[in-house]
Amino acid sequence: MVRFKNRWLLVEFVDTSTADVSTGNEPLSTRSLDGRLIYNALRDSVVTNFGDTGWGAVGMSLTVKYFSPTTNLCIIRVARDHHRIAWGAVTLLTSIHDVRIIPRVIHVSGTIKHAQLSAIAHNREVIARFRTKLKNAALHHDSYDDYLARSTREIEALQD
Amino acid sequence: MGSKRKGDDAEEMTSRERKKLKVAGARTIAVQPSVSTSGSGAVQSSGNALAGPSSTTVRFDSMQGLPASIDVERFTEARAYEIDAMQKAIKTAGESVTHRVWQTLPRHLRRRAASHDVRRVPLRLRDKARAEMVPVTRRILKRGRSKQGKTKQVSRTESLLKRQRDKTWLETHIWHAKRMKMENMWGYRLAVTPTEKSFRPSHRASMHGSILHDSSYHSLIELKGPENILRSVLDLCCDPQCTGMKRSMSGARVLETDLYKPGSYPFDLIAPVTIMWQPLPVGNTSAPTNAPPAEGSSKRRRKGKNNVLANTTQQSPTRAVWVRSHPAVFDDIFAALQGSASLVLDAEKQRHKDVYAEVKIADLRGSVNTFEIMGPKSSQVIKGALSSVVDDDRQEFKKFWPSLTDLQTTASLPRGIVIGMKVLDPRLKFPPKNAKVKTDVQRPAVMTFPAAILAQSEIWDEEKRSVLKKPTYKKKDLDARRSKNLVPGTPLNPIRQDDRIPLLLIQRSLESPNSIHGIHGWTLVFPAGWGMPFLPSLIHTGTRVGGQRERSTQAFEAGTAYFPRDFPCTEFYDKFWDELALKEKAKWNRTPPAKRANYKKLGTRSPWRADWEVVLGLPVAPGVDANLVPAQREPQDAMEVDKVPTVRPWVFRGPEVPTILEKATEMFSNGAGLLTEINRLRTKRGMDVLDPGYRPEDLLKGALVMVRLKMVSRGAPNDLAIIYRVNDVEVKKIIQDNGKTRADANEPPEAAPPHTSIIGYVTTGNMSLSRGEGFAIGAVPVSVQLELQQQARRNGESRSLVKIRDRAGMVCRAAYLDLLDS
Repeated sequence: MVRFKNRWLLVEFVDTSTADVSTGNEPLSTRSLDGRLIYNALRDSVVTNFGDTGWGAVGMSLTVKYFSPTTNLCIIRVARDHHRIAWGAVTLLTSIHDVRIIPRVIHVSGTIKHAQLSAIAHNREVIARFRTKLKNAALHHDSYDDYLARSTREIEALQD
Repeated sequence: MGSKRKGDDAEEMTSRERKKLKVAGARTIAVQPSVSTSGSGAVQSSGNALAGPSSTTVRFDSMQGLPASIDVERFTEARAYEIDAMQKAIKTAGESVTHRVWQTLPRHLRRRAASHDVRRVPLRLRDKARAEMVPVTRRILKRGRSKQGKTKQVSRTESLLKRQRDKTWLETHIWHAKRMKMENMWGYRLAVTPTEKSFRPSHRASMHGSILHDSSYHSLIELKGPENILRSVLDLCCDPQCTGMKRSMSGARVLETDLYKPGSYPFDLIAPVTIMWQPLPVGNTSAPTNAPPAEGSSKRRRKGKNNVLANTTQQSPTRAVWVRSHPAVFDDIFAALQGSASLVLDAEKQRHKDVYAEVKIADLRGSVNTFEIMGPKSSQVIKGALSSVVDDDRQEFKKFWPSLTDLQTTASLPRGIVIGMKVLDPRLKFPPKNAKVKTDVQRPAVMTFPAAILAQSEIWDEEKRSVLKKPTYKKKDLDARRSKNLVPGTPLNPIRQDDRIPLLLIQRSLESPNSIHGIHGWTLVFPAGWGMPFLPSLIHTGTRVGGQRERSTQAFEAGTAYFPRDFPCTEFYDKFWDELALKEKAKWNRTPPAKRANYKKLGTRSPWRADWEVVLGLPVAPGVDANLVPAQREPQDAMEVDKVPTVRPWVFRGPEVPTILEKATEMFSNGAGLLTEINRLRTKRGMDVLDPGYRPEDLLKGALVMVRLKMVSRGAPNDLAIIYRVNDVEVKKIIQDNGKTRADANEPPEAAPPHTSIIGYVTTGNMSLSRGEGFAIGAVPVSVQLELQQQARRNGESRSLVKIRDRAGMVCRAAYLDLLDS
């Protein structure tokens, strides 16, 4: 039985767009992006950097499965054989639809489940980093405490 | 116009499309809708399906222009939403496609037909199951009228009866057939093992819970006659080593013993049997019963040939005895009892020429049902499921029945105790609840002593049994009564027309002396026709049901021999193992040579059955190997055919085996010692001594004794593994290494030991779950056993050591050998 093997890339698009007040009241940010725009940008990047052969190798299987504008996390699916082409294309992206970004590939895995799990881990780490930055963290209790405790338990149960 | 059935409207989509939608829905990851600060013009982030509201319970402040701390909150809130969405996606994607609805049910509620018949699924899951089902199959199942027409209609009863013509179904057959693998055995259709994987759960149930086995296929023979005559009849056939006959004659206990052909102990062992005496009616010492028992009431009744009609003796009362045995040896046992009865009656006639006596032998197969319930919880199960009648005014019973609640194992009761009682229809109290053991209150333990009055029961009466053959109330009548109850769920009150069923509770133990691995429980004997009413009540609270495999595993774990597998030198053992050998040999022949064991190369002398004749050193009969056809007739053949082999193989078994072997070793000649002991036992039972033409050496030569083997360190022997003897040097090495051998990689594997050191075979071998190590039951010749004992004493060990090699294996592993009866 021939299996179609994939690679799932977990990419974070770090927003470097400068708040350009002059152009309008609305600063360009990743909040205006969506999966379709990312796909188009990726396609252009592949064609530019790897040519038509590159797009032919990767285009059939390239899909943007998830993108969240609030957290800038994206899950992209590519076939396993030429996933490095797509990976390179993602890394060489500089802007999507006039929004300047820096892509950062956080995790590559063979199943979406592990991409999801690593997204959860990444989010938890980021939250932890932000909370340590609050200098008065000792007295600062918010409702995230019990939420985080709950999610810790659930994740541990899931990962068994 | 709407469609008739619920699901028809959904058929616009094929099931494949529906499934794809479901899967796609389960696999999407929810994205938090960005309530963007810009307001209009923002692209909706709904490229990926569901955008549901935030499901976290966190406060969200959507005001703008707030200090950075609020941004952090919103930021972390978004991250938290994402975490949640990812987790949900993982969960639903995993669950959506991989499980059908009925796979969420526990195993004992799953039905094979659930995949195409929604009625087999419990009500609450039926809608989901209907949605998942492929609609096409709904049409296939049309159980409508057949095309043949009304004349060719076969009713269900008829079609079921047609299948029973060449075999007998037990009363609980249909219940077992739905849950167990069935096989034709000994003229019955019996359950071998449950269809679900249940080897370990069944073992756990026999050790800590309760497990039930329907053993109504065991044959029952009734003997009726004067007490002393019956006693002599049984003495002639039974094992003289069993001393329980006197105790069981009052009827308060059963006797489990071996039956031999009359007068030929120790040769010709037939099978182990259970003997029950009918208790004498209390207050009635000698009942002059001149009326003959009821004629023509049991269908298959065979009378003993010795009906000399006259009045019975006044000195000893007429008693009845039941003999229960394995169904395959029924004919042999019947013939043996008949023969023994004729011998005894002839002897009586010689002695008292004027007094006539008669012994009636009847075949009671199919007139009673037996359930064997083993395990510590069996007493609570029985107490919870059965309700005894109120008008039972025996003091002993009134004390015994409540004590059953607190009985933690039947091993606390005297072995083989019989309790007779009468119960109400168990379906009145359905569904039952187990009796709860009260461990908090320390009350003085109620000692139950075997008493004839406790064992009284009407089940011995043929008329009472035949009246009860058909239950008065069918299930639908009882359900109608139940529906009339004011409060639903109350148990039914017994009315006058309800049946009261007499039954016997017999304590049953599988144990060997000086062992902690016994399995104890109850045997429930009740009249025919009541199998199905009793079964659901006993099983409802979680009692497992076992088939033949579970029954034999119980005997193995307890360390006892199981008939017929572990009884060499019996006729049925040969038949059983020959059938098995045939099947295995056929399978071996079908297998390609690269995938099967090469027995010739491994040096296994007899891979298909245990060749006891060679082990004992007896001459093998010339006609054994059918493949060899002698090219020319040799002159010796004519002489050999006439010569009867003088050495007959026999198996030495009984509770006194260790002491007899001790006494035999004390004498100078072991054979002579054994012969004197055997003769002593024979004369004890009124048989004359063995034919003096039989030499004591021949007696010793042909004797086999059952042994049990425990591995020294690792390994588990299989059936038909070969037992080798070890010499003294090896014994010392084994004791030093403690059985562990570390083979270097470069050493060639050892060749199999020579055939001359084969001393026996394993009849049942496996990894024993209760011991946690390999365990086996086998047999060795008596002379070898005596030698092994001497060797052990020489080396200062308490137990003999031997080597075991599987018939398809190359490694010989050390094991301790013990007598099975010790």
